[in-house]
Amino acid sequence: MNWKSLQPYLLVTPQTLIFLVFLVFPILLIGVVSFWGFNGYAMVPGFTWDNYIGVFTSEVALKIYLNTFRYVGLVWVCSLAIAFPVAYFLAFHIDSLRWKVILFLVCTIPFWTSNIIRNIAWVPLLGKEGLVNQILQSLHLTQQPLEFLLYSDFAVVLGLVYLYTFFMIAPIFNSLMRIDRNLITAARDMGASGFQVLKEVILPLAAPGIAIGSIFVTTLVMGEFVTVRLMGGGQSASIGKLISTQIGSLQYPLAAANAVILLAVTLVMVAAILQVVDIRQEL
Amino acid sequence: MGKITRRKILQTGLAAGAFLAATRCAAPKGTPNNPAPGPEVNTNQIKDVTLRFIGTGVSQVNEIRDKAEADLGFKLDMRALSTEENNQIAISQPGQYDIFDGEYFSLPLVIPSGNLQPIDITRIKDFDKIVPFFTSGKFNGMPVESSQGTAPYKVMYLTGPDSTEFSATPTDWATLIPFQYNADTLGYRPDLVGRKIETWAELFNPEFKGKTSILDIPQIGIMDAAMVAEAAGLMTFGDKGNMTKAEIDQITDILKDQKKAGQFRAFWKTFDESVNLMASGEVVLQSMWSPAVTAVKSKGIGCVYAPFKEGYRGWGGGVGLSKKLEGIALDAAYDYMNWMLDGWVGAFLGRQGYYSAAPENAKKFMSPEEWDFWYEGKSAAVDMIDPFGATLEKAGSVRDGGSFKERFGNIVVWNSTMNENVYLVQKWQEFIAS
Amino acid sequence: MRNRPLSFYFLAAFFGLFLLFLYGPLITIFILSLQGPDGALTFPVRSFGFHWLGQVFQEQRVGNFVEPFQRSLLLGLGVMGLAILVSVPAAIAFRNRFRGSRIIFYLTIASLIVPSVLVSLGIGVMFQVLGWETNWFSSGLGAHLTWTVPFAFLIMIGVFNRFNPSYEEAARDLGASDFTTFYEIVLPLIAPSLVGVGILGFTLSYDEFTRTSLISGQDNTLPLEIFGMTTNVTSPALYALGTLTTVFSFAMIGAAFWGYQFFAKRQRE
Repeated sequence: MNWKSLQPYLLVTPQTLIFLVFLVFPILLIGVVSFWGFNGYAMVPGFTWDNYIGVFTSEVALKIYLNTFRYVGLVWVCSLAIAFPVAYFLAFHIDSLRWKVILFLVCTIPFWTSNIIRNIAWVPLLGKEGLVNQILQSLHLTQQPLEFLLYSDFAVVLGLVYLYTFFMIAPIFNSLMRIDRNLITAARDMGASGFQVLKEVILPLAAPGIAIGSIFVTTLVMGEFVTVRLMGGGQSASIGKLISTQIGSLQYPLAAANAVILLAVTLVMVAAILQVVDIRQEL
Repeated sequence: MGKITRRKILQTGLAAGAFLAATRCAAPKGTPNNPAPGPEVNTNQIKDVTLRFIGTGVSQVNEIRDKAEADLGFKLDMRALSTEENNQIAISQPGQYDIFDGEYFSLPLVIPSGNLQPIDITRIKDFDKIVPFFTSGKFNGMPVESSQGTAPYKVMYLTGPDSTEFSATPTDWATLIPFQYNADTLGYRPDLVGRKIETWAELFNPEFKGKTSILDIPQIGIMDAAMVAEAAGLMTFGDKGNMTKAEIDQITDILKDQKKAGQFRAFWKTFDESVNLMASGEVVLQSMWSPAVTAVKSKGIGCVYAPFKEGYRGWGGGVGLSKKLEGIALDAAYDYMNWMLDGWVGAFLGRQGYYSAAPENAKKFMSPEEWDFWYEGKSAAVDMIDPFGATLEKAGSVRDGGSFKERFGNIVVWNSTMNENVYLVQKWQEFIAS
Repeated sequence: MRNRPLSFYFLAAFFGLFLLFLYGPLITIFILSLQGPDGALTFPVRSFGFHWLGQVFQEQRVGNFVEPFQRSLLLGLGVMGLAILVSVPAAIAFRNRFRGSRIIFYLTIASLIVPSVLVSLGIGVMFQVLGWETNWFSSGLGAHLTWTVPFAFLIMIGVFNRFNPSYEEAARDLGASDFTTFYEIVLPLIAPSLVGVGILGFTLSYDEFTRTSLISGQDNTLPLEIFGMTTNVTSPALYALGTLTTVFSFAMIGAAFWGYQFFAKRQRE
């Protein structure tokens, strides 16, 4: 071993150590603790399958997982439906680079402020006596305040889309910006319609960006609990919220078992996305 | 400021020491008597002490901290948590606090963790002025004496100075020194409900579909739910304070059905959430804590704390000492507890609708009109102002539920940690998540 | 003015709606925070004033904002520094292929896609099992690094991909050591990107909630304090805080923009 071949390892050591200490080791511990027992107020080292059996035999746990998938699906569809046109508009319809950058920054600015503040900002808008209901009623579009606007699944999905659409916009915009404009011109010259260009040229080339955005949205929503609590009024359930309430009542082993399952499910979803789209060129 | 307070603390300490030496030396059980350290209080050291509190937003109030710091001469560091986090930290993070300001119902979980040290009641000057229900389970022979659940006196005493076992009979070793407590019921918006609410059963009345809320703390919420289910004739219990698994199954099934039918608008975990839900009109009838009702009123919105024929759900909070407290910091902690019972805090809390552990002492710091309104159930002779300057009640109004004796005496259940607590928490989570 | 296709107008309208969606809530709390003392958490606005903005700096009934803000500031700066310090060497190592680089790369990606609640729970359990006290500057710092370092690393890899190695080769040919080459040639060239990475790292840390939520120990960071406030505050001071933190974030973006331009300009000279 000479210095040259040792060099890269020395250079990556600090970063790798951080991940080993604060990511790998803690997750291994979660795995261990998920087999421990619980005596009502503290965890007891040992080995038991009870926690997993508890999760898999609980009807509610299954329902919560399904509900979480529903959130993931809805948020994914909505954020993609918003992000693609927005990114497309910026990439192809705004000609000057200066304006592209400015408009993109305008989209990112709210992302830099606290998620919690952005969550609670919806409350005065959507509540029974909120602005939206007041406007609807003053326009005589509705007689009663619409209750589904807040403390509902609708509100949860809205909040999540609001928070995470940016994670979809950025990678798609990045992909679209890299598309060689000559390809589009060439396709047009060969008589392709606007829709055909979109379908045959742009979409395939934007796929890696969509995949990266999808991975972000999926993983962020899978573990989400704050938005679910604040926008759902404590009534909506997600797997992240279940874990956090279990932690709240000190049932660490049960929470750990759920966390292990959550991690496995998330990794499967990410792997599935990667199966469909090769994102390596994007990195 | 320093000199006066230091002199004052010295006096208080000396007085306490003398008083204790005089009255407690002949403590009946012959426990080793730790004389109060009054004479040795080293004022230069105690000034450097910082006591770290954990508690809920109900009591971790900055005004109380400021007054205590000014009177006692050492520093207090307060953290406002949710009930759940508070218990969690008390049990799992003993290094994070010196004083645990929590509820009696949490003790069956907190005490076995060994993180609290028994409080030597011979060092608590006004222990005998504490409402007798806490210390002996007696209260004028009223219904509260046979109340169900984790009533404070059941978990008040420990068997010895190093014990983590509850004693059914009084000893010199206490778990918590009571701080504030109340008789809870449902609150409602009279303007939006339009009539009187007189029974717990109304919470499940379809008339209020989508406009009710229940609190999402298992050991408290289940008691409200039990009161409602029983009042509505949906089920009966052997002992609401210690349900069987079958009873827990049945009550959570009822709750799930209600949730499915859309009866609830939201669930809340901290008292301020309940204030926001009520004040914004999202909810018209819900589980509430007394000061939450006064907080809604202070915003100029009408809110009634309904007295029910079935009786109240009681809760009691107190302060306990971390196992790790010792030496001068421990002395400071005892000083704080004595100060806490001395009346200023009691009056401060009283003006928000809480009851003080030692009402006679609080009385000294309240105006006669305030005392009459909050404790005696008489109509307000003048406008009632809360400690933050907001008008709560106009002259002429009467406290919902009446006097202290009427309200406290009619507590029929307490917030409870049952034998089946783990099962309850699990089933409760299923209800919330369903 | 060239003739725009119909799709332009359609998408422009869509984009406009999107901006309304994005900024509507922020504008709402901005308006609600500018109320007089009689303001409430919901509409209608009763009177205008700066009462609640001032309240943020006053003592609250429970808790306060000033110290958590200082903590978050310090933590953000620490995270920013550490993220740059570890990600730049790692990215340099990745300019050449080496055995095991794939594993390390995937480890970095994993850090981004592991659900945040796991990181928080895991570090919490680790500290509990080892009998350590959690604190914002120990466990909290670690959690923040798992979130910021991968971003910093990926960006630095992108930066080095576009980096022209001929400058370095020239320096080496002139006999400069690795360290001198890095310090004299590479560092000045990547400085503008470092500003960007630094600001990104800072903001990611400054706003981080989930990963810190279980392990901040006895002192809260600002997002945790804000979360506590959402359950403990019943006045528009909460919105005022939202307005102020938003303004602060804008100031940070402004500073980043200025810093980037400053370094980029120096580079051109």
